[in-house]
Amino acid sequence: MNDNETILIIDDELQIRRLLEITLSANGYKILQTGNGKDGLIDAATHHPSLIILDLGLPDLDGQEILKKLREWFFKPVIVLSVRSSEEDIIKALDNGANDYLTKPFRSGELLARIRAAIRAGEKKNDAPVLEFGSLSIDMINHVARKNKEILKLTTTEFSLLCLLAKNQGRVLTHQYILKEVWGYGYLEQTQYLRVFVAQLRKKIEDNPSKPKLLITESGIGYRFGD
Amino acid sequence: MDKTKNILKTFLPSLISGINPYVLSIFVIGITAALCTPLYNLQGYHVVSFILLFVVSMLATFMGIGPVFLAATLSALVWNFFFIPPNLTFHIDKTEDILMFGMFFIIALVNGVLTTKVRRQERLALEREERTNALFQLTRELSKASGIEEVLAVAIEGIKNHFRTDPFFILQDGNNILHSSGRLQKEKKLSEKEYGVAEWVFTHSQKAGKFTDNLPSVEFTFFPLPGTRLNPGVVAVKLEKLFSGDQKAFWDTFLTQISNALEREFLGELAQKARFLVESDRLYKTLFNSISHELRIPVATIMGASDSLLNSTHPENVQSALFNEIFTASLRLNRLIENLLNMSRLESGQISLRLDWYDMNDLVNKVAEDLADELKPFSLVVSMPEDMPMVKIDYGLLEQALYNLLYNATQYAPVASMIELCTWCDNGTLVIQVKDSGPGFSDAAIENVFKKFFRVDGSKTGGLGLGLSIVKGFVEAHKGTVTVENRKIGGSEFTLKIPTEKPDIQNLQF
Repeated sequence: MNDNETILIIDDELQIRRLLEITLSANGYKILQTGNGKDGLIDAATHHPSLIILDLGLPDLDGQEILKKLREWFFKPVIVLSVRSSEEDIIKALDNGANDYLTKPFRSGELLARIRAAIRAGEKKNDAPVLEFGSLSIDMINHVARKNKEILKLTTTEFSLLCLLAKNQGRVLTHQYILKEVWGYGYLEQTQYLRVFVAQLRKKIEDNPSKPKLLITESGIGYRFGD
Repeated sequence: MDKTKNILKTFLPSLISGINPYVLSIFVIGITAALCTPLYNLQGYHVVSFILLFVVSMLATFMGIGPVFLAATLSALVWNFFFIPPNLTFHIDKTEDILMFGMFFIIALVNGVLTTKVRRQERLALEREERTNALFQLTRELSKASGIEEVLAVAIEGIKNHFRTDPFFILQDGNNILHSSGRLQKEKKLSEKEYGVAEWVFTHSQKAGKFTDNLPSVEFTFFPLPGTRLNPGVVAVKLEKLFSGDQKAFWDTFLTQISNALEREFLGELAQKARFLVESDRLYKTLFNSISHELRIPVATIMGASDSLLNSTHPENVQSALFNEIFTASLRLNRLIENLLNMSRLESGQISLRLDWYDMNDLVNKVAEDLADELKPFSLVVSMPEDMPMVKIDYGLLEQALYNLLYNATQYAPVASMIELCTWCDNGTLVIQVKDSGPGFSDAAIENVFKKFFRVDGSKTGGLGLGLSIVKGFVEAHKGTVTVENRKIGGSEFTLKIPTEKPDIQNLQF
C-alpha cells in the first residue's frame, strides 16, 4: 500500500534500526538505513526518500546540524526520533525544520501514525482555497470557517491562528513560531495569549472542547492540527 | 581621707599621665615645701613633717616604687634643709631632731613602699577577677554556641576584647589537613610561608612564629589549639610582645577553653557524617535490592514470553497474550527508568523551573491519555471550574506529579470505583486534588508516604516507593505543598497547592 514511499533511517543503534526496518517494511515502506550522519546526508541526496527518521545523538555529526544541512535542499518530512526528551532539544529540532518528533521508547503504532500524517501532509496542497477536516471547513479566500455547514463567528486573530495550524496539519508548531506568525515578533513571550485563544477556538470548532481532536496540545512544546 | 584618695586615684593619673613620674615627685615635694613655709612660721617645723609624710603617701597611691622612693628621700632632705633649725643647712643641732629626721625618713619610705605594694596587690586581684570573669563568660558563651562558626565567632570576640589583637583561626578539615583560609574569616588568607608555619605548629603542637624560637621570621605568632582527642587547628595572632606571667596563663586557659569547644563541635560533625554514611549506605542497599528486583521481573517476563514465541507454535490467542505480557513489562520498565531519572534529577538538585502559562485542561487530558489503559477499569471524574484561569507552572514536572498520583490511585483503588480529580484556583494558588476509594493509609504509614523508598506494608508488588517522593520534590520545586489525608468515606485524598501568578490578559488583541 505504501509501495512508492522510501523512508531513510539515520540512527546509530543497530537494534532500533532493525526494529524500525521490520515494522516499517511490514507496513509496505521501502527502507534505507545508515548509522551515521555523513552517510545519511549522502543517502538523502542520492535516493530522495519520502521521509527521514533522524536520531539526534549520532557519533559523527550532531543531529541538529544534520537537520540544518538537510533543510537547505530537502523539503520532504523529517521526523526526529531521540532519547533526548528535554523540551529544549525538541523545540530546537522543530525550529531547525523537523516536522515532528517522538522520544524513545516509542510505540510503533504511534510512529506509523506520525509517518502517515507527515507524508500525507506533505502531499496535500495546502494552498487550496478551501481546507476540509471532517465537519470543519476553512475557506481561505472568503475568510470564513464553517462547522456542520454553519458559519463560525471567529475573530480575525482566531481565524489566523486556525489557518496557520490547519495549513500545517500534522506538523508540530512551537509556541514561539505560532506567536511570531499570528501576533508578530513583539509577542514571543506571551504564551498565555496563545493558551487563551486556543481555548476559545476549541470551544468553537471542537466537538468536545475538553477532549480536543483538532487543536492538539504538545506538552510544553506547541500545538499540532490533528486529522 | 578615703574620699581624697579616691579623687586622686581617679583624676590624678589621667592628669599626670605623660609626665615623667620622677619629675612629678620632685615638683610636688617642692610645691608642698613652698606652701608649708607660712605654716612653718606659725606652727613650727614638726607640723611640716606631717604634711610632707601625707603627700608622700598620697604619691604612693598612684606612682611606682622608684618615684615614691625619690619623693620620700627628697622630702626628708627638704625638711632637714629648709625647716629643721638651723635652716638652709643639712646640719641638725638637737639630738632629738636627728632622731626625728631618721624616723621621718624611715616612715616616709615604709609608708610609700607599703602603699605601692598594697596598690599592686589590689591591681593584681582586680586583674585576676577580670580574667576569671572573662573565662567564665567565655565558657558560658562557648557552651551556648552551636556549630563551628558560632564557636569561632565567640572565640574571636573574646580574644579581641581581652588581648587586644585580631586572631585568625586556621582549622583542620576533619582529615587532619589544615585549611589555608579561615572558615569564618574568608577574606583572610595565609601566605605560603605562614601556612608552612601553621602546619608545623599543627603537627608539633608547639607555638612558633614571631617572638618564639621556631621560625620567627613571620609577622604572626602561631599557637596550637590543644585538644584531647583531635587538634582542631592553629590560631595566629599579631603581638607586640610574647605573653608572660599571669597574662600567659590567662591566654593558655583561654585557648584551652576555645579548643575544647571546637573539638566538641568537630566530634559532633564527625558523628553526624558517620550517621549520614550509615544512612546513605542503607539507602544504597535498599535501592540496589529493590532496583534489581524491579528490573528483573519485567526483563524475565520479556525474555520468557519472547523465547516462548520464538521457539514454539502457539494458537493465536496465546500468542497475543504473550505479546501483551511483553508490552506490559516494557511499560513497567519504562516507568521505572522514568522514576529513577526523575529521582536523580531531584537528588542532584538539577531541577530548574521552566515556568510558562498553561491550560489545566491540557495537562489533565494529557495525563488521562497517558494513563488510558490503567484508568480503563475506573471512572475518572474530572471537575474543573468553567472559568479556570491559565496557570503559570512547569508543565513537565507537574504532568509527572499528576501522573504519579493518578497511577497510584489506579494501583490501589478497587476496580470500577471512582477516581476524582478536582482542580481550581484559589486566590493565586492552584489546587489539585486526587481522591480515590482505595484502602487509604494507616496512621503509621501516612507520616511516611512521601519518603523515598517507603512502601506501605502489604502493598502490591511492583514499584520502588519513589512515586510520591517525586511528587513531593516536583511540587516543592514549585514552592508548593503536597498533603495527604484519609477520606471519611474511605480512600485517600492528595492535595497539591501551588502558588501561581494571576494571568494578566487585559491587553489581548481579539
